[in-house]
Amino acid sequence: MIGVDFELTTEHRLIQQTVRDFATREVGPVAAELDRTSRFPRELIARAADLGLMGVMVPEAYGGSGLDTIAYLIAIEEIASACASTAVVISVNNSLICDPLLRHGSEDLKRRYLPGLATGRLLGCYCLTEPQAGSDAANVQTQARREGDHWVLTGTKIFVTNGVEADVCIVYARTDQEPGARGISAFVVEKEWPGVTVGKVEKKLGIRASSTCEIVLEQCRVPADHLLGERARGFRVALSTLDGGRLGIAAQAVGLARAALEISAAYAAQRHQFGRPIAEFQAVQWMLADMATRTDAARLLMHRAAVLRDRGRPYTKEAAMAKLFASETAMWAAHKAVQIHGGYGYIQDYPVERFFRDAKITEIYEGTSEIQRLVIARHVLGMH
Amino acid sequence: MDIIVCLKQVVDPELPQTEFAIEPATGRQVREGRPLVISTYDENALEVALQLKDRGGGKVTVLTLGPQAVISDAFRLALAMGADEMVVVDDPRGPDRLGGEKAAILAAAIRRIGRFDLVLTGCESADWTERVVAPVLAEALSAACVTFVSRVEAADGTLMVRRMADEGFHRVEVRLPAVLSVASDESNRPRLPKLKDILAAKRKPVHVWPVADMPAAPGDLAAGVEVREVVIPQRTTRCEFLEGESAEQAAALAQRLRDLKLL
Ligand SMILES: Cc1cc2nc3c(=O)[nH]c(=O)nc-3n(C[C@H](O)[C@H](O)[C@H](O)COP(=O)(O)OP(=O)(O)OC[C@H]3O[C@@H](n4cnc5c(N)ncnc54)[C@H](O)[C@@H]3O)c2cc1C
Repeated sequence: MIGVDFELTTEHRLIQQTVRDFATREVGPVAAELDRTSRFPRELIARAADLGLMGVMVPEAYGGSGLDTIAYLIAIEEIASACASTAVVISVNNSLICDPLLRHGSEDLKRRYLPGLATGRLLGCYCLTEPQAGSDAANVQTQARREGDHWVLTGTKIFVTNGVEADVCIVYARTDQEPGARGISAFVVEKEWPGVTVGKVEKKLGIRASSTCEIVLEQCRVPADHLLGERARGFRVALSTLDGGRLGIAAQAVGLARAALEISAAYAAQRHQFGRPIAEFQAVQWMLADMATRTDAARLLMHRAAVLRDRGRPYTKEAAMAKLFASETAMWAAHKAVQIHGGYGYIQDYPVERFFRDAKITEIYEGTSEIQRLVIARHVLGMH
Repeated sequence: MDIIVCLKQVVDPELPQTEFAIEPATGRQVREGRPLVISTYDENALEVALQLKDRGGGKVTVLTLGPQAVISDAFRLALAMGADEMVVVDDPRGPDRLGGEKAAILAAAIRRIGRFDLVLTGCESADWTERVVAPVLAEALSAACVTFVSRVEAADGTLMVRRMADEGFHRVEVRLPAVLSVASDESNRPRLPKLKDILAAKRKPVHVWPVADMPAAPGDLAAGVEVREVVIPQRTTRCEFLEGESAEQAAALAQRLRDLKLL
């Protein structure tokens, strides 16, 4: 085939239509209330699981939907256009839990956890960040000490999305006293196990319907066969996981940007000042034009990275570009959406106020914009 | 129970009115370039069929009459929702035929499908709103018929159905085989397909039968009706100012509304 195909396949279009129906009928109507009350969207997650959204790329043999990355990103974009909180709950479960289990888990771990995670019976969380290990994720201090056929984990993880509700945690800890990335291993830990507790639950600017909390590990005994991937190779697991995760966040950002655009266009058409719709003022048109252009560009970057991923090609740089551009587009578009709404945009009765608060996180988690630029620059300079 | 659901493809009724056009020469609705969807109540009929299958097993076949070339993705979703197979009677003129004629062709297709216990249609189509397909089908198939059915319960070789009525409903027992036309109800809101079933739907059988192969209808089921003219109603708005003090204006307004039979 010659050239580039920008058309979605029939299946992808039908998936988009189905998830869009779900998002507009079931997610959108409750999003403002979930945000206002900071309530975890339990019922929506159960419905999402029914549709197969909790394990989009998990093979059917493990209870998933067996779809590709494009399908996954289409789904996250649609959900995020209605509720960014619900989107991140789903994205974390897919990208940060199911995906590393699938890629690095033993057959036993896969059989034990994937069917539950993919069908909504279990929820996952990802425990990498620590007080001293944020952007510098290799500075993990949580310790794993070997005791017979167990590892004993002690340390504190912070900012864990889904931490309050999760059943299964992927935890990064230091098994070897090598410096930096080299001594880190990844583990699959059940939250029910002795020694695992939920610490401080954060109050946030946005994505309020998703929980963010500390996960405290105190002498938590983890069977040795719950090591995810090889010993001391955990940082590779973390990085490869984040490549995929960043695409999930890009999709969340594109969904937010698109919603900001659609709502602003509709508002501009009906809001009159100086005797005509504000959509007739060129200043407003230009904002809408730029929002549309950037949103499309972000989606194209994201889909390109997804195609590379599905073809098994390297896509770290492309994922970083997509995440960087999409998240900055979401923030920018939300900013313009509030501007187009004027005073009403600043008021909670209109959804753009929520979009503005929700968009900011996309520039921070799964690698800040600065870290994405650093990743891209290293590729540009051949320093990776 | 083996169920056949007749699904009609129509121009999306949610489109803005400005998208609705009629070819002056032929009186046919312009469909080209418009998104095509499954007619509203037909989806409710499909949901009823799938619920009956979920509870009692059997097979659900969806049947549509229309130009195969423009059969839309929506039908793939019908298969993804849980229908087992699909029959397309390929008929370029399909969408422009009158209800009786369409029903006669559908009846021929149903006889060719063979076994069935129940045929479901929507209670009316989103474009022509003729409401005749179900009764004519029942006649042609010598089956029982109930129209405007909101709920269906299978009971021991018969069906208990709710038929919508003014200010209430009838409970009707129907013997099989039967043809029911289905109205929307909270119990038959079309389900969303699971994502994996969207992929799997691709592998479900789709049979395409040319309309010419459908044996002619017994008798002349479409006779007696001819569409002479199709018009889009012109809506105009006029603004009238009532003079005087508030009380006088109110009285005048009440009088005007009464004159217009709005009060
Ligand atoms: C709501 C929320 C949910 C989260 N969910 C999870 C989760 O589920 N699991 C998880 O493990 N973590 C999670 N995180 C953590 C998140 O990934 C980190 O907050 C993020 O990676 C940044 O780390 P930090 O907060 O320590 O900031 P810091 O690393 O302290 O960064 C502060 C500033 O310095 C900049 N900076 C740092 N290093 C460099 C550098 N080398 N070059 C240039 N600039 C630099 C940063 O870009 C930033 O602007 C979540 C965070 C939040 C707020």
